[in-house]
Amino acid sequence: MTAVEEKDHFFRNLQDNEDLMTGILGNSVDLVKRRITFHEHKNVQAICYYTDGLVDVTQIELFISDLLYKGNLLLHHSTLPSGPPLALLKEHMLTNASFQVVKEVSQAVDGILSGVAVLILDGSDEVFVIQTKGWEKRGVNEPQTEQVVRGPRDGFTESIRTNTALVRRRIRDPKLRIEQMNIGTRSKTDINIAYIEDIVKEGLVEEVKKRLRDIRIDAILESGYIEELIEDAPRSPFTTVQSTERPDKVASSILEGRVAIFVDNTPFVLVVPSFFWQFLQASDDYYSRYMTGSFFRFIRYLAFVLSLTLTSIYVMLVSFHQEMIPTQLILTIASGREVVPFPVLLEALMMEISFELMREAGLRMPKPVGQAVSIVGSLVIGQAAVQAGIVSPFMVIIVALTGIASFAIPNYAASFSIRLIRFPLLIAAGTLGLLGFSAMFALLAIHALTLRSFGESYLAPATPFQPKDQKDTIIRFPWWKMQARPVGVTGDEKRVGDHQFPEPPNTDPYSKEGGKSKESDPKGGGQSPRKKKRHVIKLKGEDEE
Amino acid sequence: MKRYLKWSLLLIIILLLTGCAGKRELNDLALVMAVGIDKGEEENSFKVTAQIARPADARGQTGAPSGQTGEPILTIVGQGESLFDAIRDLSSFTTRNVFWAHNQVIVINEDLAKDGIAQVIDFFTRNPELRMRTWVVITPEKASTLVSTVTGLELIPGEAVNKLFRYGEISNVAPNTQIMDVQAAYLSQSSQPIIARVTLKEVMVSNKKPEKGPTIKQVDLAGAGVFQEDRLVGILKPEETRALMLFTERLQSGVVTTPCTSKPERTISVELRDQMFQVTPHFKGSQISFTAEFDSLAVVVEAGCPFSIDDQEQVTEVEKAVEKKLKKEIETTVNKVQKEYKTDVLELGKVFHNDYPGYWKQVADDWEEVFPTVDIKVSVNVEIKDSVLLWEETNSGKKENSAN
Amino acid sequence: MKVQISNGMFMALIINMIYAKAIGVTQGSMAREVGGDIWISTLIATIQGGVIMFLVIFVIRRMPEGDLIDQSARILGKWFGKFVALITFIFFLAAYGPVMSTFVFHLKDYFLPEAPTLLFILAAFLIGTYAIYFGVEVIARMALIGVFSIIALNILLMLGSLSEFDIRELRPTFQMGFLRTVWASRHHNTDWAMATIMAGIILPMVANKETWGKMGFAGIGYGMVFIIMWPILEAGVLSPETAAQYIVSCMQMARSAQIGYFVHRYEMIMIAFFALSILTQIMMSLLCASVAMQKILGLKDYRKVILPTAIILHAFGYWINFDKNRAVDFLEGWWVYISIGVAVGLPFLILVMGFFFKKKLKKEVVAEEAK
Repeated sequence: MTAVEEKDHFFRNLQDNEDLMTGILGNSVDLVKRRITFHEHKNVQAICYYTDGLVDVTQIELFISDLLYKGNLLLHHSTLPSGPPLALLKEHMLTNASFQVVKEVSQAVDGILSGVAVLILDGSDEVFVIQTKGWEKRGVNEPQTEQVVRGPRDGFTESIRTNTALVRRRIRDPKLRIEQMNIGTRSKTDINIAYIEDIVKEGLVEEVKKRLRDIRIDAILESGYIEELIEDAPRSPFTTVQSTERPDKVASSILEGRVAIFVDNTPFVLVVPSFFWQFLQASDDYYSRYMTGSFFRFIRYLAFVLSLTLTSIYVMLVSFHQEMIPTQLILTIASGREVVPFPVLLEALMMEISFELMREAGLRMPKPVGQAVSIVGSLVIGQAAVQAGIVSPFMVIIVALTGIASFAIPNYAASFSIRLIRFPLLIAAGTLGLLGFSAMFALLAIHALTLRSFGESYLAPATPFQPKDQKDTIIRFPWWKMQARPVGVTGDEKRVGDHQFPEPPNTDPYSKEGGKSKESDPKGGGQSPRKKKRHVIKLKGEDEE
Repeated sequence: MKRYLKWSLLLIIILLLTGCAGKRELNDLALVMAVGIDKGEEENSFKVTAQIARPADARGQTGAPSGQTGEPILTIVGQGESLFDAIRDLSSFTTRNVFWAHNQVIVINEDLAKDGIAQVIDFFTRNPELRMRTWVVITPEKASTLVSTVTGLELIPGEAVNKLFRYGEISNVAPNTQIMDVQAAYLSQSSQPIIARVTLKEVMVSNKKPEKGPTIKQVDLAGAGVFQEDRLVGILKPEETRALMLFTERLQSGVVTTPCTSKPERTISVELRDQMFQVTPHFKGSQISFTAEFDSLAVVVEAGCPFSIDDQEQVTEVEKAVEKKLKKEIETTVNKVQKEYKTDVLELGKVFHNDYPGYWKQVADDWEEVFPTVDIKVSVNVEIKDSVLLWEETNSGKKENSAN
Repeated sequence: MKVQISNGMFMALIINMIYAKAIGVTQGSMAREVGGDIWISTLIATIQGGVIMFLVIFVIRRMPEGDLIDQSARILGKWFGKFVALITFIFFLAAYGPVMSTFVFHLKDYFLPEAPTLLFILAAFLIGTYAIYFGVEVIARMALIGVFSIIALNILLMLGSLSEFDIRELRPTFQMGFLRTVWASRHHNTDWAMATIMAGIILPMVANKETWGKMGFAGIGYGMVFIIMWPILEAGVLSPETAAQYIVSCMQMARSAQIGYFVHRYEMIMIAFFALSILTQIMMSLLCASVAMQKILGLKDYRKVILPTAIILHAFGYWINFDKNRAVDFLEGWWVYISIGVAVGLPFLILVMGFFFKKKLKKEVVAEEAK
C-alpha cells in the first residue's frame, strides 16, 4: 500500500516493477504472475498479472500466444534498437478489443483486481491493460420478488454489465447515458447511473451524483448500502428509494425522467426519485389491457388499506366501540370470543407476531422444510389455537386477511414498511380506541406528507394534487390517453402521439366513401382530430355529386 | 429536532399509558337485546326487564368450546326510582357490564304509558350508547312477560320483534315507531306521538299437542297507542291503524276486501298500489278545515266470484265499493282520534302550520282545544287498472255449472 | 426558502377551517334560535363571510408580500404591528376554545365517554405541534385530503338519512321572522371569521396572486355546498326541535343514519373522515396563533414559539372544555362577539388606516421595489 501512496508510476526496470507489484499485491493464491520471455535474441522479459477466476483464460492464452509468435516475428523484422518495443506492439499486434496503456500503478492494480490482465514489459514505464474479464455468472433468470403474469421474464443478475445491457436493449436511444462511478474504499464497487439526457428532471443527475460522491464507506455489498446512505428520510419507516429486479421497470422509470442506480454484484437496481403510489403499481398494470390493469390496481389499493388498518379497526371495534358492529355480527364475534382469555389487543398482537414468525421461518428455511413449517404453522394457528380456546376464529380470519393483503403489495420493501407501521396503529387503536386510531393515523399521514424523495413530494401526485398526473394513479388510463410524461420532466413531454385511438377503417355503408382507408385521405395525418377528418371526407363526397 | 422527538415520544407514552380508559372487552359485556319497562312495586318507581343474549348459545358452536346451556337468552329484572337506578340495580346481579347499544326494542307497559313516558324518552335519547332507530312499543301485558317470550323463528325475542317490524309492512297493523320518531313528535309543537302496540296472542301450535290448536303465545302487532304529549290516551285497533298511517308515514301497500255484488257471501280483494294521500288545510273566516284526498290505483288480486277486468260495469262497481270502504275506514279513525282522544296524532297541526304560518301562531297555544272542532273532509278515489295474470273469469268449464 | 402553497390548497384550507364546527355545533346553536330556518341562516352567514373575505383579500392585495400584521406594522409602525399581532393571537386563543369543544364533543361524548378530557387535549397537542413544525405546506396538503374526506362523509351521511327526510319540517320559512334569522346567522359567522383571519395570515404564502379573489370565493362556495346539506338534513330528518335539543346535532343525525338492516350504525366511519378535517382546523389555528406570537415577540422563526403557544392554547382549551356549560356558553356568547369583532374590525381598521396613509404604503412599496 505504502508504495502506491509514495509512487504511482511504474519503473523502467522490470525487476523494480516486480518488486513494486509484489509489495502491493502480496502472495494471494488467486493472483497469478506469469513470467514470459520472448524475442529470444534480445531477451525481452515480460510479466503478466491477472486474477484467477476473474479472467477468461482463453483470452489470455490468445494474447500470450500472439505475443510469443507474432511479437517475435514483428520485433525480429523491425529495425528498432533495443529498448521498449511497446509502441510497435501496441500498434501492430495486440488485437484485443479493449486495450489500454496505463502509467499509474494504482490503476493497474485496480484493473488486476477487477479482472483484467496487466502486462509489464521490461524497459518500459508503461504497462498494457488488456480486457480479459470473464467470470462465472448466473444467467438471466426470472426475478424472484416481482413476478408478472404478462410481461418479460428476464430479471437483473449480479453482473452490472449484463444489467445495463438489459436496459440498453430496451431503450436504443443515444440519449440514454450510463455513467460510471466507484464507491467503497476497499470494495471499489462499480456503480452506474442511467438516465435519458433530454428527459430527466433538471438538476436531478447532479444531485444523485453529489450524494453518491459523498459516500464514505469501505465496501458496498448490496444496493441497500447505497439506499440507506442516499435516502431523504433515514428515520422514516417508509422507503423513499425504489429497488427493483425488473429491467422493464427500470426502463419505464428512466423513460419517465427518473434516474436508475446500478450496483455491481446485486440484482437490485435503485430508482430515484420514487413515490409512494409506485410501490402499489405492478408492471402487469401496463401490459394487460387497461381495464383489467386498473381493476388489479384497485385491488392492490384495497390490499394496502386492509393490510394497514384491518387489524386495528377490528381491535378498536371489539374493545371500544361495540355499538358500531352490526347486531348479527357482534353475536357471532362474541360467541367466538366467549372462551378466549386474552384481551383483544393482546390476542391480535399474539397472532400478528406468530404470523410474522411463520413468514420469516418459511423464508429462511431450506425450501423442502419450508413447506413443513407452513403446514405446522397453519395447523397450529388456524385450528389448534381456536379449538384450544386461545384465539377466536374471527381473529384468525382478520390476521390471515391482513397477511394476504400485505402479500398482494408488489414491492417487498413497501410491503414491509406497511407491516411496520401497522403495529403503532394497532397499539394506539387498542389502547385509545377511535381517538388513538385517528390520532396515530393523522401522525402517520403528516409524516408521510413531509417526506420527499430527491426533491419530489413522496405522496405526489395525490397530494400535492397534479391533475395531469392522475392518468396513472388510481386508474391506469389506456395508452392512447396517457400522452404526457409526468409533470416535471425537461423537454420532450409527449410520450404518445395524437389520435392513437385505434379504429377500423371507415366502412360505413351509407357513406359514398365507404371502405376508404384513412391513408387515402389526401391531407393525411393532419392536425385535426380524426372525427373531423372523417366529416370532411363525407362532405367532399357530397360535393362531388 | 432531537429534543422535540424525545418530547413527543414521552407524550405518546403518556397517552398510551393513560389509555384504556373506557375500554370494555367484548367478553365482559352483557348484550341487551330488548328491554321492558313496567311500573315498579313502589310509587313512582320503575321495573326494568333486560333481555340479554348468551352469544354462545344464540350462535351455536363456532369453533371454540363454550358453555351450552341451551338457553339463548337471560332475562333479568331490576328495580329503582329512576330508569338509571333500575339499570344500576341490574348490574348488581349480572356478571358482566350491561351493554345497551344493541337493544332492538323498548317495550313499555300501558299502565306506565298512561302516567307519562317523558322520562323514558329522555333516558333513551340522552345516552350515546343507545341507538336512535330502536323500536318503541307499548303493550297491555306485563312488559317483562312480553320481553321474555320467544317468538317466530328467531332465537332472541328482541330480534324477533325487530324483524316483525321490518317485514311487517305487508300486514299494516302497527306503525313503525322508532325512538327518534317518538322523540321528534314529543318535542314538536304541532304533532303528538303514536307508538306501536303489541300483545301476546295464542297463535302457535304446540308440536307435542297439535290437536289442541294454537296454544302458545306469540308477540303480535296490534294497533297503535295514541298519546297526548307523553301520556297514553287511547288505543287504535289494528284495522284503524292503516288509516292513521296514511297521515303519518310513507304509504305502504294495502289490501281491501269487499263482498261481491252478485254473490254477497263471496269477496273480491284488491291491492292498492301507487297511492297518493294529500291533506290540504283551509282557512276561511276563523274556521279551520282540512280535506284529505286519497287516490290510488288498485289491482284485483283475488276474486271469489267471476270477475273480468274487461267488464267495465263490474269494475266500476268494485271501485265504488272499495272507495266506500276506505272512506269509512279513514273517517272512523279520524273521528276516533279527533272526537274521542282529542289528540293530534294526524299531524294536521303541522300541515296547517306549513301553509298558514301566520294563523298558526294564533292557534298554536290552544291547538289542543281547536283540533277536535276542525272539520275534516275525506274523499277517496280508487281506479282498478290491472287484474294480474288473468283476463277471463275463473269459471267452471262444465256447462251446467257455468250456466248457473 | 419561502414556503408557498398552491391556490387549490388555500381553497382546501378555507373549507376545512369552517366545516367542522359549522355542520354540528353551530347548527345546534342556530336551531335553538330559529328552528327550521337554520339553513337560511347558514346561507346568510355565508354571504356575510364572503364580504369579510373580500375585504381581507382587498387589504392584503395592497401589500401582497406581508400578512395583516406586517401591513399594519408598515402603516403605523412597529408597535401598532405588535398590537395587531396581539389581537390576532387573542382571536386564535379564543378560537381554540370552540375548536377544541368541537373536537371533544364529537369524539369524547359519542365514542369514549369514560375517557378523561385531558386525553383529547393531549392528543390534539401532540398532533398539532408535530404538524405545524413542518409548516403550512404540510397542513395545506393535509387539508386537500381533508376535502376528500369531507366529500366522503357527506355522501355517507346522505346514504343513511335521505330516506327519513321530511320536507314539511323545513316549511314555513322565516317562522321566527327575518331579523331573528339574520341575527342567528352570527353563530355561523364565527366559523367564517376564523377562515377569514386565517386567510389574512397565510394569503401572502399563496402562490398565484391574480387568482386570490377567485380562489377565496371558490373556497367559500365549495364550503357552502358542503355545509348547506347539513342544516337542511338536520331539520328535515331530525326535526328542528331535536336538532336544537342536542349540543352536536350533526352527530345525532349521524347516529340515526342507517343503511339497510345490517349497517345499523356507522357514525364511526364518518367520524374517522371528520377527524381529518377537525385536525386540520386544530393545526391551522395553532399555526396562526404561533405566527402571531412570533410577531409579537419579533422573532424570525415561529418554530421557537410553537411549544409555549401550544401550551397556552391547550391550557385554555382544557379549561373551557372542563365544564360543558362553560364551553357552550363561551361559544355561543363571548366567542361570537370576539370573533366577529376581530374579523370585521381588524381588516376594516387596516383598510381605513391604509386610505389615510396611502402614500406611506405606496412609498414603502416603491422603496422596497427599488431595492
